[in-house]
Amino acid sequence: MTDDATDDAPRHQEEQKAFAEEADSLLAITIAPLIWCAHFLVCYCGVAIYCAKWQQAFSLGVLRAGLIGATVLALAGIALIGWFAFRRWDVRTSGDWVHERGISEDRHRFLGHAAFLLALISFIAVCYVTLPLIFIGSCA
Amino acid sequence: MARLTALLLPLLLLLAGCSGRQSALGPGGADAQVLAVLFFVMLGGAVVLWLFMNGLFYWATRRSPSAHSEKGSFLLIVIGGILFPTVVLAALLSYGLAILPDQRAPGDGLTVAVRGEQWWWRVEYWPEGAEAPIRTANEIRLPVGARTEFRLDSHRVIHSFWVPALGGKMDMFPGRETRMSLEPVRPGLYRGQCAEFCGESHAWMAFEVEAMEPAAFDAWLAHEASDARPPEGAEAQRGAALFAAQGCGACHAVRGTEAVGQVGPDLTHVGSRHSLGAGRLGMAQEDLMRWIRDPAAFKPGAEMPAYDHLSEAQLSDLATYLRGLQ
Ligand code: HEC
Ligand SMILES: [Cu+2]
Repeated sequence: MTDDATDDAPRHQEEQKAFAEEADSLLAITIAPLIWCAHFLVCYCGVAIYCAKWQQAFSLGVLRAGLIGATVLALAGIALIGWFAFRRWDVRTSGDWVHERGISEDRHRFLGHAAFLLALISFIAVCYVTLPLIFIGSCA
Repeated sequence: MARLTALLLPLLLLLAGCSGRQSALGPGGADAQVLAVLFFVMLGGAVVLWLFMNGLFYWATRRSPSAHSEKGSFLLIVIGGILFPTVVLAALLSYGLAILPDQRAPGDGLTVAVRGEQWWWRVEYWPEGAEAPIRTANEIRLPVGARTEFRLDSHRVIHSFWVPALGGKMDMFPGRETRMSLEPVRPGLYRGQCAEFCGESHAWMAFEVEAMEPAAFDAWLAHEASDARPPEGAEAQRGAALFAAQGCGACHAVRGTEAVGQVGPDLTHVGSRHSLGAGRLGMAQEDLMRWIRDPAAFKPGAEMPAYDHLSEAQLSDLATYLRGLQ
């Protein structure tokens, strides 16, 4: 009885350590959606404030160019995160889509998988948010 | 055959509802034409997709109900579930966004300011360079082939300005101006309607829009700017006297007379309008009499008192006077 407990202890600790590392990547999977969120707010608030206050100060073209620049940055950031996540998921070598075992390796892959899909949807969302900037050239 | 007719008849009735002077699908304006095309593109796309999806269901459940390969299913999800909707939605979004700026395009000179009231429309025409507006109410006339700009706001609650046969709709807010523009391409009589619930008589808050050839429009506008013509004939003169004696002028303006009230619609040329009470009644003698006797009977909550103490003859005199205000 006591033997079992001491036997198990090191493995248990190891799992806990691995799990603590994963807590970081749990945060990491939110980064792509956060970039989308930030980009959306910058675009929306930027144009709203410009149209209400800054129309005399500079032309809308300047703002649009700046925001489209922000889009390029956001897309690059999301693509980078997506690439890291894809590697962590590692589906090409493991062929594992389901991650059904409750071990740290599966958790690791699962988080990579989830982060990759979130990056993909964030990428599409940022593109959609940018479309009005391209088509609508005035405050009216 | 009877079954077919039973099926087709409602469909035909439905289609018949698509034409008409308050229909976005019977466009009389440049913007409405663009929107009607947009509608049919969307409809066509929806029909194609519906047929395709149901075809797939049919195929997968009836024709070939065996398991699919993992690779095939994966491709189906990636292409059919991600790639295809992303591209189609992006295309539709771009199409819609590309249309949007035209609906707000600047006008060719004439500006019409419309304010939503409880439950009628205060209208001001500002021809290019005008210092003072030409005031009227409850009806809008527009020149065909020119883009007229609208400045919209509201007195107390949110209304929405919509002439479906001419273009898109725009909300009207108290204390905040919104803009839109319309360009009629076909002369004719259209109907507008308040499209934002605004109280008891919201559904009765409509208006007539007449799109006219430019020359006729200019002549009409010049006439609209003139003062009211004096009453002709004994009945109309009695009516004018009643109008003054009953205090109608506290709320209504009849330019060129003592009546300068601003609470209710301007009546200077009320007799020339196509409808009475913002689209509620016609402009016949009987309509005017019934309206003055009890406005709230036609528009619940109407902010004009009932004059049911007046005799039939007095109401008739008033109606004759008002109808003469051409
Ligand atoms: C307290 C203010 C008030 C008084 C007094 C008043 N009205 Fe009105 N009147 C209104 C308002 C408000 C409307 C718009 C009601 C609506 O459409 O909901 C109106 C609408 C009308 C209309 C329809 C206008 C249009 O554009 O179709 C006529 C005609 C009219 N009034 C005639 C009269 C006459 C005649 C009198 C006097 C016997 C009178 N009114 C007295 C407030 C008043
Ligand atoms: Cu209204």
